[in-house]
Order: sequence, then structure tokens, then C-alpha cells
Amino acid sequence: MVDSDVQRVQVKENIKFTPSLSEQRHKFVLDFVRKHKPQKVADLGCANCKLLWRLKYHESIEVLAGLDIDENILTRNIYRLHTGAGDYLDPRERPLTITLYHGSVVEKDPCLLGFDLITCIELIEHLEAKELAQFPEVLFGFFSPTTVIISTPNFEFNPLFSGKTLFRHPDHKFEWDRTQFQSWASDAARNYGYSVEFTGLGEPPPGAEAVGFCTQIGIFMKNKPNAQSLLNEKTVECTHTTVGTVIYPSLKEEKYLRKAVSNEVFSQILKMKRVLLESLKMKNDSDSGDECEFVKPKYNESKNDPFEETPKPFCIENVFYVPLERLFSFPKIKHLCGDLETLKMLIADEVTLSSDGSSVMINIVDEEDCDLSDNDGDDL
Amino acid sequence: MTGRARVKARGSCRGQEPHPLEPPQSSSGNHPTVRDSEASISTNLETVKEGVSAGDWNACTLIQRRGKTWNNFLELGIHTREKLAHVKDCKTGSSGAPVKLVTNLFNLGLPREWHLFQYHVTFNPELASKRLRIALLYNHNKFLKKTKVFDGTMLFLSESLEEKVTKLSSETQKGTYIAITITLISELPSSSPVCIQFFNVIFKKILRKLSMYQIGRNFYSPSDPVEIPQHKLSLWPGFAISVSQFENKLMFTANVIHKVLRNETVLEFMSGLYNRKDKSHFIETCEKELLGCVILTRYNNRTYRIDDIDWSVKPTDTFQKRDGTKITYTDYYKQQYDISLTDLNQPMLVSQLKNKQIDSGEVRIAHLVPELCFLTGLSKRVTSDFRLMKDLATETHLNPTRRQQRLSRLADNIQRNTEARFELETWGLQFGCQMSLTGRVVPSEKLLMQDTTCQPMCAADWSRDMRNCKLLEARPLNDWIIVCSYRNEDAAQCLLSCLRRVSSPMGFHIEKPKIIKVQENTAAFVRAIQQHVNPDTQLVMCVLPSTQKDCYDSIKRFLSLDYPIPSQCVLARTLNRHGMMMSIATKIAMQVVCKLGGELWAVEIPLKSLMVVGIDVSKETCTKGYSAVGFVASSNSRITRWFSRCILQNTKTDIADCLKVCMKGALNKWYRYNNCFPSRIIVYRDGVGDGMLQTIVDYEVPQLLSSFRDSNSNYSPKVSVIVVRKTCIPRFFTEMNRTLQNPPLGTVIDSEATRPEWYDFYLISQSAHQGTVTPTYYNVIYDDNGLKPDHMQRLTYKLCHLYYNWPGLIKIPAPCQYAHKLTFLVGQSIHREPSMELADCLFYL
Repeated sequence: MVDSDVQRVQVKENIKFTPSLSEQRHKFVLDFVRKHKPQKVADLGCANCKLLWRLKYHESIEVLAGLDIDENILTRNIYRLHTGAGDYLDPRERPLTITLYHGSVVEKDPCLLGFDLITCIELIEHLEAKELAQFPEVLFGFFSPTTVIISTPNFEFNPLFSGKTLFRHPDHKFEWDRTQFQSWASDAARNYGYSVEFTGLGEPPPGAEAVGFCTQIGIFMKNKPNAQSLLNEKTVECTHTTVGTVIYPSLKEEKYLRKAVSNEVFSQILKMKRVLLESLKMKNDSDSGDECEFVKPKYNESKNDPFEETPKPFCIENVFYVPLERLFSFPKIKHLCGDLETLKMLIADEVTLSSDGSSVMINIVDEEDCDLSDNDGDDL
Repeated sequence: MTGRARVKARGSCRGQEPHPLEPPQSSSGNHPTVRDSEASISTNLETVKEGVSAGDWNACTLIQRRGKTWNNFLELGIHTREKLAHVKDCKTGSSGAPVKLVTNLFNLGLPREWHLFQYHVTFNPELASKRLRIALLYNHNKFLKKTKVFDGTMLFLSESLEEKVTKLSSETQKGTYIAITITLISELPSSSPVCIQFFNVIFKKILRKLSMYQIGRNFYSPSDPVEIPQHKLSLWPGFAISVSQFENKLMFTANVIHKVLRNETVLEFMSGLYNRKDKSHFIETCEKELLGCVILTRYNNRTYRIDDIDWSVKPTDTFQKRDGTKITYTDYYKQQYDISLTDLNQPMLVSQLKNKQIDSGEVRIAHLVPELCFLTGLSKRVTSDFRLMKDLATETHLNPTRRQQRLSRLADNIQRNTEARFELETWGLQFGCQMSLTGRVVPSEKLLMQDTTCQPMCAADWSRDMRNCKLLEARPLNDWIIVCSYRNEDAAQCLLSCLRRVSSPMGFHIEKPKIIKVQENTAAFVRAIQQHVNPDTQLVMCVLPSTQKDCYDSIKRFLSLDYPIPSQCVLARTLNRHGMMMSIATKIAMQVVCKLGGELWAVEIPLKSLMVVGIDVSKETCTKGYSAVGFVASSNSRITRWFSRCILQNTKTDIADCLKVCMKGALNKWYRYNNCFPSRIIVYRDGVGDGMLQTIVDYEVPQLLSSFRDSNSNYSPKVSVIVVRKTCIPRFFTEMNRTLQNPPLGTVIDSEATRPEWYDFYLISQSAHQGTVTPTYYNVIYDDNGLKPDHMQRLTYKLCHLYYNWPGLIKIPAPCQYAHKLTFLVGQSIHREPSMELADCLFYL
């Protein structure tokens, strides 16, 4: 009955998914990451490292690992994970280390212990029967991550493709129908203390709903949280070789934090200074004799103005004083530093502080007139 | 006049590092705007980027096609020395005191009989995907453990395969069988151009292994940045590296450089402008400041040029992705990069993407979010900020000692890093020691003044020595006017009295001028000039109230196009520097003397009847599609008077044509003053872009030669053509008092760091107050004068003394600097060819 339905549908076009199924699988993982915010994530069979590349943008992740049996593909694709200039100019808040390992997914290597999420996207169907048999023990029993996502083709969907081959890819050792996958997954979950939920991606076309999703997915959650002590006992020899490690700069490192804070501080001080100079200039031009009051920047017209309570910047002769408290009330600076003392400590080398250490001092007179040396050359 | 001009002039007069900073990638530069699948820095694809070979049989055509590769590659294989009989055997001079020099060159050792094996690889059935071709070959058992570089078509091996033609087969993931045929094309010796390029690729790989970060062709250490927060700048220390074949050795060269990055997103920059400027002009100002800037996206580390700003598109609008689906910008960045945009009203930056496929004509456009783009490079406004440039110079102009420290650290890292060493060893390369060599210091020059000669204490600046000396020839200034604003009348009077005081010891007579007071605006100045100049007016002096460029431009335009009279502009601010007035007046007086056609000083020129010519071509400031060709030729044998011409030339046409016109004009002028043609002509050609050497050898030189024949059929002067380069890779240091210092003025290097196929030398003719001096590189590409190398070098050195805008040595021969100054004025202010009536005086100083 079902078969004849499938036949009818197949007569139509070859099935294409938009966005592509692999993109949908990646999106599925990313949505999961966004929701559960894991810190340590590993991708088994990471191949061209595209999923890792997408994952590296997520702030919650601090450790990313990729494992593949093909060393070449890793060396050729590790570039995707390299840091860029932007990572240094605007460092992440939290650290991130990405490591690529070369090795087999059925080796018990301690480098993959203690992860929050391990993904096996379109991996298991590439495993030989023997490897497949060992895999649950290694993944759930040894690595024992908090969550696991496993995806694999749904064999029932295959007749909808016009291709003549049995499996979707020549390297696939098997492709399972829903029953096969779900029983394998449920067994594994039961044996190692996980609960599992099933879902999928790639809706079948109208008329063929019975075949289910094109890709089937199992989401495994560990029933008991990781017992740290247990991990330490697993002192097993490392078998994976490291293909490369990329360490991202982050605000957890003091030099980057210092840079971020001083940039922000200077940028705010310069803004204030400009407003001050403009108001002085207006005063000079109009000669109205108004009191020179510091004009608050317009962009801060929020209702709960944090500046109301903080001391205002002031001017004594040609020196402009910006109280640290004032600077600290800027949300970004507050967020970066946490407390006033840290702010003071971080910017101490970059700015001149007033004698009591409560304000940043800046000269408002342009030193332009001091440049006497550059009058060679052109028309003077 | 403008700050920028000042910076420029300073750079060339004082000879500080000409390019201490990386310029922003220009519009013509390469834009790594490839799709992410191709933006790889992976081990094997890099060869494509570096241009070892790009799927092309013929390495030569490839080198030609890759216009972006470093000029060294493009100029490999141009042999000009072999045609110059007098230097065929020896191109080194012998005069002067020897000086020991340390260089930034490192020896690279190779085994005797070393060869690189180049193979051509074909796949059957053919594979369109380069990626797949590479994967197939790399995964083949035969190559797993071999040292190799493969770009999809060309395979390079350090050891040959057993057979000349090797046939292999492989299976793709889809199960298709592919036959691979590998054919040996050539065994390349280490000095061959392809090999040199290949070594460059290897070294780029090595620097990456040292965790250095590649931008463009150079490598940086982003993990030890120098921060200049008050200017929102970050500096990354780094190296420009290359491997080249010097006299008889393969050398690795490294230059210490810095990448300037701006800690400022385009959005921050825009809101800065919004808060500052008069809001009605906001859009205009924004576009003026931003169009053409190169930006760096924060999420994927690519650079783009801003071609336009689309004010109608907002981040909440949708666009079509490559798969056809529509998505808003905000959602896209959230999904793709987990970035939340904070400003939903920002406009979009528009960048035209360069198409990888040359044949496909369609223009691809990218919309970029200002919030996610960092500004790069230094804008005009930034470079004109004196304080900023000063702070920057302190960090970037390293003195020889600090430079040497960084070089040794790099060499050390290369030698110690196991991966780097492994890479070198697999190819049989040996990283050797830093090269030192012997240069010569040519004798210093005496200055010839009227009635006296003077031996300057310091050749870098002889303004003191010249006090109380009479100038060579100064025509009296009888009929002239000063235009100033009402407010600056006192300043003008003060200047006048100072001018008169300083001018008489110089032997320069100044009559009383007519002083005209006007309102402080451009129109008033121009109108006053129009009303008061007459055919007898010798000079118009303007005291400008502000640095406003349009005022200066309008005056210069009127007085060099409509009513050609020499003019002198002075900023009122300059005249307020009390205590400096006398030295300022001295400088102005000397400029005025030159503008009237006078001569300040001379050096002894042993050759009689010698004309020297300086040519410079500048594109930067002209209207798009045009370049300014400046041509300045001496018109007397003392080499103190000059004929100057500037032609605006469509960049598409060869500049050789206009050279002919200029050359004829210069010869006629010479004939008029000397009643004969010069018997020798030496042309210094500056402004030669990367990879243009071939064009100059093939087209410009023959054109120049034919212009002599055109002047008079019997006339055949002896001619030399010398290409002048202000930038080059070698640096030289000398050890003095136990520290490394810049070599003394007049140091010539004509061995070891030079190239065997050229008649070339380095000359250090300027002092660097700060940082390390960049030697000027001279390449004599044509020479039937037959001067001994000694004489050629000394003559060049003499010519560096003759730039009248600076009482001291400059880094290039004076005619080149004049030509540069001329093109700068034309490109910046006049935008048209100046009147020929001014050709006899240095009106553009």
C-alpha cells in the first residue's frame, strides 16, 4: 500500500530541500546550542569542519573539539576555525579553544571526556558493523556527555529519490528505517542511563507522509548529571593525535580586557571633551555670558538616566576632569570591569589620574601650535 | 599646504620610512572577497593564492596574469645588464671609504644539484572542482608521505617520481573511478623564477606555522599588539617577507612592518560624525569620508571596499540568499554568526564584489552592516592629524637596534620551531645566518654659492652653513603684490619686514609690494588677484586665513592656468609663530627666488653639456582614469635651472607618448639657452609601479631615444635611463659605538644585495631622525654614456643635493623630487596642465 504511494510520488521531480538538508541539520544543532547553552561541544566525524565553524560563533561555547578519521580533510579545513582580525579587535567575552583530533570514534580517548554536547551528524552509517557495536560503549559509556545528538538517513525515504543506488552515499555501510534506528538508540539509552527523543528533518512531499522525515534524529539526555570524580579515574592513554589547536583571544585575558576598557574609556572621554569644546565655542561666539555647563550628550536621553546620580565632569583651567564614577556608569564599561577598582586598575597605565585618583585628567588645549618642526617643504 | 602635503614632503625630504604603515588596500588591490569555500588558507590551496601556478601550463603567462604578486616575480627574467658592455664584467665602484654593513637578508642554503620537480596532473574524466582534484591527489597512497605542493594542476615534488609519466587511479566519494596522469614537465634549478615563487610559498607556510597571521602578503602577530587608545588604533607588529635571488645567493629577507587597525566600527564612526557635524550635511559628509575605505568584517575576517552607502535599506529588510530563500539581515546574522544587531536603523554599506571568473560579466554586490565592519587603514583625515601621526611614528619607526632585535627573534623562531624546521628540511632548505657586506661612503660634496664654496657640517641640513652666503643667482623682486585678509594685515607687514631683512644678505633685492586687504573668503581673494595683477607682476603672495583647501586651489588654479604668474601662499597661522619668524622668512625668501627663476646653490658637475631629467607619474590624486606625468629637465650645464612640464594622461594610453613631447620641449629649451643640444642625457624615472619594468624597457626607452632623432637627424646624444625606487626590501645597518645605527650619508651598496641580471645599486642619501633609513634603489636599465659605475653613483649622489625646497640632502635625485612636487600640485589643486609660460621657473615649490 505504502509502496505504491511512494511510486506515484517519485514520478515527479527529484526531491530537493530548501534550505539544503545539511544546512537544516546544522541549524538544528545550532538551535539546540542556543537553547541549552553547552560550554563544551564536540563534533564526531567533523570532516570539513563546517559545523564547528558555525558553532564557534556561539558565546556560550568555551571548548570545541572535532574528531575525524581522515587527517587530510582536517588539515585542509582547519583554516575555517582560525582566528580573524576581528577576533582580536573585538575579543569574545569568554575564552574559546578549538582542537581538531585525528582518530577513530571508537577509541576511548580521554580528550573527549566531560563534554556537554557531542554531535554525530550523519556519522553512524559510515561505521562498519564491528565499530557500530563498540560505538555506544565509547560514546555513552566512556565519553558520557550530558547530551548527544545523532542523525542518520531514514531508509524509508530513499524510494523518493530518483537515484538507483541502494544507499544515498557509496561509503554508507547501512541505512536504517525508523524502527531500526529507534530500537538501536533506545537500547543504547537504556544501557547507559540516557533518555532519548526522536525527531527528524526533511518533510516528505504530500502524499508520502508515511515514510517520515528524510533525516532521522535522536536526542539523548543523560539521566544523572556527570559525576566529576568518575572522569578522573578514567586515565586511559591518548590515542588521538592533535591536528591543530586554535585559541581565541577573550576578555578573560587581562591584556584584551585592558584594551577593551581603555578603548571604551577613551571613546567616552573624547565624546565628552568634544561636547565641552563645542559648548565653549558656542559660548565664545555668542558671548552671552551663560554659565558654561557641561551639555549632556543627546544619545543618552533614556528615562532612567544613570548619569543623574554620578558626579559630572568639570573643567579647571585647561584640564578636563572626568570622574571615574561617571565613566563607570556607562553600561559597557560597567559590564567589562565589574567594579570601580578594576576600572581604575585597568586604565591606570593609559590615562593620567587626578591626584586623589578619582578622575581622569585630560588636557583640552590642542597642542597643535607646538609643531614647529614641520614647516619645510611646501608653501608655508 | 594641506597637512597631507606636509606629511608627504616631510617624508621625502627627511627621508623617514616611506611606508612605515601598511596603506589601506587600494581599489585596484586584491580584495579577498571570495566565497568562503575559496577563502582558504589551507596548505594546498595557498599555492593558488600565491600564484605558483594556477592551473596553467605555462608558468610565464601565469606570472603575467597574477598582477598582484610581488614585483620581484614579475621582473624576474628581465635582463638589462647583459646589453651594457661597460658593466658586463663588473658593476661595482671603488671610490670612497669602505663601511661594514649588516643587512636584513638571510642566507638560504640548498644542496648542490638541488632541483624542484614540476609535474602536470590531468584527471580523466575531467573534474571541474579544484577542491576535489586536490583531495583526490592528496589522499592517494602514493603521495601520503611525500613532500608536495599541488594546486589542482601543477604538482611540485622535492624528489622525482620513478617514471616520467605516472598513471594512477582513484575513486571519488560518489564511487566514480578517476584516472590520474602525472607528467614531468621540468626539473627546475633553484634560481628559476618558478622556484623563487615556490620558495616564497614555502616561507609563507613557515610563518603561519609560527602562529603569525597573514593579511595581504604580510605576516603579523596579533597577540602582541601595540595599542594607541587615544586614537582608537591598534598596531600589529609583523614582517614583510620574501625569498629572492641576490647576486649569487638565494636569500630570505624580512622587513619589520606594522599593520594599523582601527578599533572603530563604521557605525561608531558614523555616529561620531552625526554628533559632530551639521546634521543637514550628514549624508554628504558620511559618503565623502567613507566611500573608498576598506573595511574588515568582524565575523569572517574579509575585507571589502565601500563603494556606496544604501540609506534606504535597514537591517530589518530582507534579502535573498544564494539558495533563493529570503531572510532579514538581523535574522541572518543571528542565525549565521549568533550576532544580535543593536542598531536597527543603520544604513547598509554596499560593496561590489570582484568576480573570480573573469569571463562572467555580472556584477555581484554585497550589503554589509556598519555595526559589524571595522575601518582599516588610515584615512586622509587621520593622516593629517599631526599628533596622531606623531604617536604612530613613535611606535612604528623602529631604530636599527630594535629592528635588529625583531629580526633576530624571527630568525630564531624559524630555526627553533620544529614544524618550521621540518618544512625547511623536507625541501632541503637550510636557513643560514644574517648577511653582512661592505658598502662604500662616497666623499661629501661642496656647495657652490656666489663667490664662495661651502663645505656643510652636515649634509642632511646645511641651512646654518648657508647663512651669510650669497645665493647663486637671485633676480630682484620689483613688482609684486601681497593679498591678505583685514585681520591678517599685521602678520603680512611683519612677514614683509622680515623678508626684507633676510633677503639682503642673500643678495636678493625686494622692492615694496602692493598690499591688498580683502574679506576672508575665497572669492574675495581671487577677485582681488584678478583686479590687481598686470603683465609686469612678478609674484603674488597670499596670506591665507585658514587651511581651507579650496581657497588655495582657486588661487593656484587662476595663477597657473588663466593668468600665469608665480605665486606664494603662506598660512597666517605660520606667521604667528613668534621667534621662528626669521627662519620662516628665510625659507619663504628662498622659495620666492626659485619661483622667479633664480638659483640657490650648485654642486660641482664634472660632465659638461649634461642634461638630467626626472620623471614621476602619480595616479593617486588625479581624476579617475588619469595620471599626472611630471617631467623636469635641467636647462643649463650647471644643473641649476629647470624646465618643468606636467601632462595629464589617460591611464589607458602609454605614457611614453607624452614623454616624447616633453623631451622635445626640454631639448628646445636647452638649445635656446646653450645654442647646442646636450651631448649627454641622464633620465631618472620615478613612479614605476610594481611590474612595470618590462614596459619601461620595451616602450619608454625606445620612445625617448627616438625623440632625439626627431629633434635633429644628426643628433644622437649619449643616454642613460635609471629607474629610481624609493621602496626596496633590503635594509642596511652599521655598527658604531657598539650599537647598530643607520649607515652614514652617501653610503653606496653595489654588491651582494644587488641582482646579477641588473646594473643596480643602493644609495643612502637621506638621514632618518627617527627609525631606520630606507635606501633608494637605482637600476640603470639603459646606458650608452659609458660612465664608470663610480661616476654614475657619485653623479646620482650629487643630484640629491639640488632640491631647492630643502637645504640638505634628499632621498631621490632633485629632478625626480621636482617632478613629484609638480604632479602633486597638479593632481591636488590645479587638475589641468599648468601654463607653459611657467615652465622655466620652479613655480610649484
